[in-house]
Amino acid sequence: MYLVIVGGGKVGAPLASSLINEGHEVFVLDNDPDTVASLQRELGMVATIGDATSVRALQDAGAARAGALIATTNSDADNLSACQLARTNFDVPRTIAVAHSPENAELFDLAGVDLVVSATDLVLSNLATALPAHPLIRLMPVADRTQELVAIKLPAAGTAIGRTLSELTLPYGTKIVLMITAEGHSKTPDADALIEAEDEIVALTPANSTNELWELLTELR
Amino acid sequence: MNVIIVGAGNLGASLARKLSDLGHRITVIEKNPKAVSLLPRGRVDSGAMSIIHRDGSTSAAMIEAGISDADVFIAATGKDSLNGLAAQRAKTIFRVDEVMASVKDEGARTLYESLGISTINKATLAADQFASVLTSKA
Repeated sequence: MYLVIVGGGKVGAPLASSLINEGHEVFVLDNDPDTVASLQRELGMVATIGDATSVRALQDAGAARAGALIATTNSDADNLSACQLARTNFDVPRTIAVAHSPENAELFDLAGVDLVVSATDLVLSNLATALPAHPLIRLMPVADRTQELVAIKLPAAGTAIGRTLSELTLPYGTKIVLMITAEGHSKTPDADALIEAEDEIVALTPANSTNELWELLTELR
Repeated sequence: MNVIIVGAGNLGASLARKLSDLGHRITVIEKNPKAVSLLPRGRVDSGAMSIIHRDGSTSAAMIEAGISDADVFIAATGKDSLNGLAAQRAKTIFRVDEVMASVKDEGARTLYESLGISTINKATLAADQFASVLTSKA
């Protein structure tokens, strides 16, 4: 697939490299000559200097035949503009953008960007994963952020321990997807699955019910 | 009317002065504290015009500028994409009635106009003026 990447920096450069390795045809647009020169040294003639917030530059980058445009610059404003121009002027079927601020991630969604990668969310969830005591990990947003996949570590002294899944009154719309024991073994989340100390529960839940689910599963005796 | 202007450069500052002359209540959002020298100092000092030093594309700056009571929001920085982002936030999140943006790229203008944002292109306006001066002399 022909892919246009906007921004060849910390995100764009390794992304371009891995997409090329996967067999895609990739073209990078960046407004910094040094960045473009370094990309050309490493990856060949797959980058050019250009301002992706101008229709002309997108046209020169071949946006009209691109299967997707991925905007990875440090500027949320530039990322949004590149995606919107690509869609409205060149009918690029899939636009993907990095949003550095969470409020911009929300605006990108509303503005019709197909996939919004929220830098803050990623960092937060990675940090949470690195902290073993942290009981709630947001794994990924689902269905336009109306739902989310979360992992919750159950405290040994929790009220849920020793009960079966069917005995829990889950928030409306919440589904337990997987249970993982303290030893790292997976358990099928049947109605009669026993909840044990230090289990990790992976659930798909409406985004506004996440806290309720967390309170239910981590409530202490 | 309550007017919020983002950017205190040539365009933003002239607009602020002009609309203030017409009796409108103006709040200017300008990130760079040094870049407000073009604004009418007397009016700023007397409180007739407010300045907020923040990134004008953020909700925090817009809320501080009183966007819930704003009738008009004008994005007038020198950067198309920033104006586009700010204008879209004002329009879709804060539902300001009249939202305008200064945009250089013609393709971007079409895009923002289709979202209900009025746009102007400084260069085109200037060219039109020069041309009409020439035409009137010919």
